[in-house]
Amino acid sequence: MDPECSRLLPALCAVLADPSQAVADDTCLEKLLDWFKTVTEAGSSLLLLQENPCLVDLLSHVLDLKPQDVSPRVLSFSLCLAGTFAAQEDCFEYLQQGQLLLGLFGEAGPLSWAAWSVPTVRSGWIRGLRSLAQHPSGLHFLGNSGAVDALFSLQGDSSLFVASAASQLLVHVLALSMQAAPQVTQALNVLTTTFGRCHSPWTEVLWGQLSPLVAHLLESDPIPAAHSLVDLLLSVARSPVFASADCGLWETMARMLSCLSPTQAGSLALGILKLQHCPQALRSQAFRVLLQPLVCILRATTQAPGPPGLLDETSAGSSMMVDTLLSSKSACVGLLCQTLAHLEELQPLPQRPSPWPQTLLVEAAVIILQLCDGSAVPSSSEGGRLCGALAGCSRVQRAALDFLGTLSQGISSRELMPQVFAVLLETLESPASSPMVLKKAFQATLRWLLDLPSPSSCLDLGPHAPLFLRELFPVLQKRLCSPCWEVRDSALEFLTHLTACWGGEADFREALLASEVPKLTWQLLRDPESYVRASAVTAMGQLSSQGLEAVSESPGHPEVQQGLIGELLHILSMDSEGFPRRAVVRVFTEWLRDSHADVARDTEWFVATVLQMVSQDLDWEVRAQGLELVRVFLVQTLGQPNPHCPYAVTLPKVTPPGPLPEVLRTLCQLQIIDFAFRALFDCDRPVAQKACDLLLFLREKTAPCSGLQEPGNSSDVTSVEATLHRWQAGEQSQPLGNLEPEELLAALRSLDLEGFQGRLAESSDHVEKSPQSLLQDMLATVAVLEENVADCY
Amino acid sequence: MPEIRVTPLGAGQDVGRSCILVSIAGKNVMLDCGMHMGFNDDRRFPDFSYITQNGRLTDFLDCVIISHFHLDHCGALPYFSEMVGYDGPIYMTHPTQAICPILLEDYRKIAVDKKGEANFFTSQMIKDCMKKVVAVHLHQTVQVDDELEIKAYYAGHVLGAAMFQIKVGSESVVYTGDYNMTPDRHLGAAWIDKCRPNLLITESTYATTIRDSKRCRERDFLKKVHETVERGGKVLIPVFALGRAQELCILLETFWERMNLKVPIYFSTGLTEKANHYYKLFITWTNQKIRKTFVQRNMFEFKHIKAFDRAFADNPGPMVVFATPGMLHAGQSLQIFRKWAGNEKNMVIMPGYCVQGTVGHKILSGQRKLEMEGRQVLEVKMQVEYMSFSAHADAKGIMQLVGQAEPESVLLVHGEAKKMEFLRQKIEQEFRVSCYMPANGETVTLPTSPSIPVGISLGLLKQEMAQGLLPEAKKPRLLHGTLIMKDSSFRLVSSEQALKELGLAEHQLRFTCRVHLQDTRKEQEMALRVYSHLKSTLKDHCVQHLPDGSVTVESILIQAAAHSEDPGIKVLLVSWTYQDEELGSFLTTLLKKGLPQTPS
Repeated sequence: MDPECSRLLPALCAVLADPSQAVADDTCLEKLLDWFKTVTEAGSSLLLLQENPCLVDLLSHVLDLKPQDVSPRVLSFSLCLAGTFAAQEDCFEYLQQGQLLLGLFGEAGPLSWAAWSVPTVRSGWIRGLRSLAQHPSGLHFLGNSGAVDALFSLQGDSSLFVASAASQLLVHVLALSMQAAPQVTQALNVLTTTFGRCHSPWTEVLWGQLSPLVAHLLESDPIPAAHSLVDLLLSVARSPVFASADCGLWETMARMLSCLSPTQAGSLALGILKLQHCPQALRSQAFRVLLQPLVCILRATTQAPGPPGLLDETSAGSSMMVDTLLSSKSACVGLLCQTLAHLEELQPLPQRPSPWPQTLLVEAAVIILQLCDGSAVPSSSEGGRLCGALAGCSRVQRAALDFLGTLSQGISSRELMPQVFAVLLETLESPASSPMVLKKAFQATLRWLLDLPSPSSCLDLGPHAPLFLRELFPVLQKRLCSPCWEVRDSALEFLTHLTACWGGEADFREALLASEVPKLTWQLLRDPESYVRASAVTAMGQLSSQGLEAVSESPGHPEVQQGLIGELLHILSMDSEGFPRRAVVRVFTEWLRDSHADVARDTEWFVATVLQMVSQDLDWEVRAQGLELVRVFLVQTLGQPNPHCPYAVTLPKVTPPGPLPEVLRTLCQLQIIDFAFRALFDCDRPVAQKACDLLLFLREKTAPCSGLQEPGNSSDVTSVEATLHRWQAGEQSQPLGNLEPEELLAALRSLDLEGFQGRLAESSDHVEKSPQSLLQDMLATVAVLEENVADCY
Repeated sequence: MPEIRVTPLGAGQDVGRSCILVSIAGKNVMLDCGMHMGFNDDRRFPDFSYITQNGRLTDFLDCVIISHFHLDHCGALPYFSEMVGYDGPIYMTHPTQAICPILLEDYRKIAVDKKGEANFFTSQMIKDCMKKVVAVHLHQTVQVDDELEIKAYYAGHVLGAAMFQIKVGSESVVYTGDYNMTPDRHLGAAWIDKCRPNLLITESTYATTIRDSKRCRERDFLKKVHETVERGGKVLIPVFALGRAQELCILLETFWERMNLKVPIYFSTGLTEKANHYYKLFITWTNQKIRKTFVQRNMFEFKHIKAFDRAFADNPGPMVVFATPGMLHAGQSLQIFRKWAGNEKNMVIMPGYCVQGTVGHKILSGQRKLEMEGRQVLEVKMQVEYMSFSAHADAKGIMQLVGQAEPESVLLVHGEAKKMEFLRQKIEQEFRVSCYMPANGETVTLPTSPSIPVGISLGLLKQEMAQGLLPEAKKPRLLHGTLIMKDSSFRLVSSEQALKELGLAEHQLRFTCRVHLQDTRKEQEMALRVYSHLKSTLKDHCVQHLPDGSVTVESILIQAAAHSEDPGIKVLLVSWTYQDEELGSFLTTLLKKGLPQTPS
């Protein structure tokens, strides 16, 4: 500042500070501000203030005045001036020391004065803040002084200028936080949420102002907060506001795709491909990015690269990709797992790219699995290093198997079947495969096998399947003997599913029966691990349903002679764990439904025997499953439940095997009625619920029965009711005895089954969950020892 | 930026729903995945949306570690792995792997039974979740991947409970889970070696308590049970199938044996068999006494404790029944309670904490008229006792563990804020380390200074060996070399090799110093005098007089010249390389003192 100005300044400040002196006009003050701006831009504001103490005096004087004495114009000027000085961080700190800034911009300052009603003051206040919000300290000040709240309300100010300035300042704050490294992520996240939730037209304007900043972020290397930036771009792209508008978004995305690291680009590429509307060129670019890692793998390991179209165009980015893949083991594993998961997600979507390079993907998945199990023959030094990085990596194996599984559904998959089956067999056979890998290999195998042309429509399964099955069963056999229960269990689950689908196929039956698999499955019924026993029960149930349990009649195996049904009954009565027992009742229910030969031989004996065991079971799920078995039996004897819809097609009624009274007598003799009534009062709610439904069904089926009279002797009914009441009260030791059909009908009618149903529909802790219970608990707890509170488990 | 970040999603200044995210050297680990018994909605599980923001869970998390089988540490696991979609490895000890699914199954059955929750994890999900588990042995270093390794230490508390050390390179974190520093009837005390982790994350349930002697509590318990059965009453002890139940069984079994009592003791739901099977199977995890006596008599084969049948509850006369579940919120324990509550001769002993809303909580807080379903009111006349048998370290124990592990900093979880604050100050004062206690969702960031491995070339080592000194572990020696960074690894090599590898040419810096001497003789003569002087002074060095008249001592060059203005003064130019700095300055000092007068 030239000396003459310095000399004049104190006097001018005195004039400005004196409310009795009128200032020339606004333009002067504006020009004065312009001048200070030039001065501060050229040099240090702090020095300026130190050399001209009158300036700070002016600011403090304005604050010291009585609010009514302040000239709005001078006040507005002072606010702008203070902001201009505070734009430099050291000067900001200096002014803050005297609490000047808080006085001017804080809640106790002009904000609360009468002068605030003058738009100039509000405008000056915003301009001052706009100037000082240039550095992190300024940003914090905005947050801490409560200014942001005021800004939000000023957006709706009666003055258009004020409102617009407030909005601009808010945008500036967001923009600024995007430049300050620590805040970039937060700012981007806020914007992502904004564009995700708010689809008003103004968001387009906001994006218009922000996109240059985003573009600016893309210029840095590495790109800051890349993950959040990807989210933001995708969120903007998904917003319907931008559906038609071309606002440079696609260009930005394309640029970002090319400059992000391969790992980061993957999720952006996936996001782009999932968009509903998006330029084809960008989609192609995104798809190339997504495919690149697999293309690199194929290049490094095979002589003949896949479809030329895809590979040629990727060469530009592929060197970076290869670098990433080879840079370290963890980078390679991370990138591959991510790519496989992304492609897996894309595969079933309708908007997936077309043409879909099914062959290339299958080949890549196969090669990756071969690299993992060490059977790949690398054709280059890169391939060799990939082998080293991936050998024995179960994480990649798991991801590749999941992906390979989803690829089973595809038109061009058939030619690749030999390759796929070979690598699956290799994985299943390999002694190095972990239990999780084996589980996933079984699942993938199952998917490929089940997606073969439907067995029912086509008698032969194609040329590959029989060959594969012959090799598969020895592997399955080996895995059924695994020391890991996880593996035995996965193998049994696989067998069950496969048999359910293919049990009728000659090739399958032949291969299965030629193996030891049925015998081993039988042996696993006595496995030490309950999960495995349960799976073995289910598998044997399935094999038996298809007539495949064929175990050679050897005199050394007494359990074999006893038959499968005997073995399963043994498990039901003796197994100490719930899973196998539950599985047994489930198998029995299926057998009953499908009229399995062993069951059909003497259905009544079968049902009575099972119920006798089930009713004693401590596991409520076994009891509930037992009720399901009873329901199937009742449907078979009494017919389907009546349709409730009057327009439903009425099925021809199943004629009960005998007259109704006979049927009811049988039900009583088989203890079915006893079981159902006891279950109605079961302390486990699902059992009671199921029993209630069952009794309602029974009542409905017997209601129109005209052949039965109400019991003449009412004392019999009373005794039944008395027994039921005692059961309800928890004393279930007394048996119901053999009921006559009439008594049964009377008992059914006398019970308020609908009432039961209503009560049971409520969760059993509805009383304890009530607000009244909560209040009581809170009041009661006040007096109780504090110790109880922390003493958890 | 090398740093360790810790964010509790649960157990941050609270008890229940333990779930702590640790990020160490770029690896992300989830410690425990527990549920909160006090909630019936989404709030019972940790809010995993904070992690799912970071992309796919399986890509983001490197592994999950479960410290022990209590539901507040593993209850959310099937939800997390089968419903939220985590597909990576889960680590736990062998006993935890065996027992965890039993408790999860128990919990599922109660949730489905009681509340009819349809959207709950199924048995199949529990099984599928357990298939992802990798079981570990104590003190076995398990390599999660090339960089991340974990190691389990004995924690006491319950069968199979473990503390875990998580290590990446030279950085490590120890997570204690729940632990107990004093042995109890069936378990030993927690132990860890002096592993000096960057951070110790410890539970702090009893942060301010010094617990009274366990013996007193046991005596009290036995007295109450004994008195009740003596006067013909029935004792109900609601328990969870595994854990405290076994300890109380041992306690009663021993007492019955000693006192020759005949009153029957029952254990409900057929779980005893299975539970005791696991205790027998994992006998190495129990305490020394049980292990020692195991040969003569297995502590877990009970003579007096029989399986319970529902009909027994109506039997007249005294009896003791252990029934599940432990908070009287459903199933058998609640059913028995309803039968017995009306009789003042009977007693219910709650050996653990009960959450709000359960019958257990109500009777513990003194409520005696309970509303049951169907507007029935149950009047509780039986005696209600609370006895804490939970096995956590008290304040003294926590301090002891910190002393054992010698961490650089401590972080408190699984406790109440007020008590933590007290302990935090104590730890900071006593051990002079920083102690943190983040709330749920709050991230603690610790800067670390990781050591970077540097390979030393064989050539350089051989060079060093050639100097004749054998390396000695206790006497560190200085080794000069050039550090090069190539292929993202560091190597220390000789400068020649570095030049060769990097294809660079060598530049030499020479320092030159002028020494002025009063002498009128000719330069050549001067040089000769310098040579003789140095030759006689520096007997160990190679001093040469070169044909051009200059003198060298090793690499140091000395030339004599005439002063441009004063012929009476001669100037000695002494020049040396950086490597011979010491000798160079020594020579300069020596020559500045002047040359000895030669007898002329």
